[in-house]
Amino acid sequence: MALEKQTEMTQSDTDALLGRHETGVLSLARDDDPYAIPISYGYDADDRTFYLRLVSTPESEKREFLSSNPDARLVVYEEDEPTYKSVVVTGTLTEISRDEMTVEHVEQYGEAKRPLFEIWGEAKPDLDIKLYELRADTISGRHIELSERHD
Amino acid sequence: MTASEEFTFVCPSCGESMEVNPAMRDALVENGCVVCGASVTTEAFSPVDTPE
Ligand SMILES: [Zn+2]
Repeated sequence: MALEKQTEMTQSDTDALLGRHETGVLSLARDDDPYAIPISYGYDADDRTFYLRLVSTPESEKREFLSSNPDARLVVYEEDEPTYKSVVVTGTLTEISRDEMTVEHVEQYGEAKRPLFEIWGEAKPDLDIKLYELRADTISGRHIELSERHD
Repeated sequence: MTASEEFTFVCPSCGESMEVNPAMRDALVENGCVVCGASVTTEAFSPVDTPE
């Protein structure tokens, strides 16, 4: 498929896209090892902050990546032929510990309703769910119109 | 001592347990469990100072 047109999305477009989705793929880098995981999030456009839920099983390598406040990249995309939109967020991930949880956190996470348990077929008590805040350094969106349709 | 204002929250879905104040309890009932997103009712809360 040939690319016909690729444009930068405006900030209000990227905010709208991020607001109507609640799952994405989070990529973490540690040294030269990349790691990508599905997450669910709530997005606060005013603070440009994401409230993430991450699930790990006790032996998963994710935990190692998460132990050192890594640089993170979050990708959220949508496809509605012939339009493809993707938003890439870069920022720093910080764990929110249980004892610093506030009413505001509870409200922000209320926006991220998609149950992660649907992604992970394990019994809930066996999963280790951690809450993270991702403060965005950059948010950039691309909007691509594909020239050929096959319907 | 504000112990009488504290509750122990135990999420019936994920098993998370936290001590919360009344404002936090209301927020959890309204928004669901902060950890797993499951709905929460007031039954998930018990006063911290309940005798055994
Ligand atoms: Zn829960």
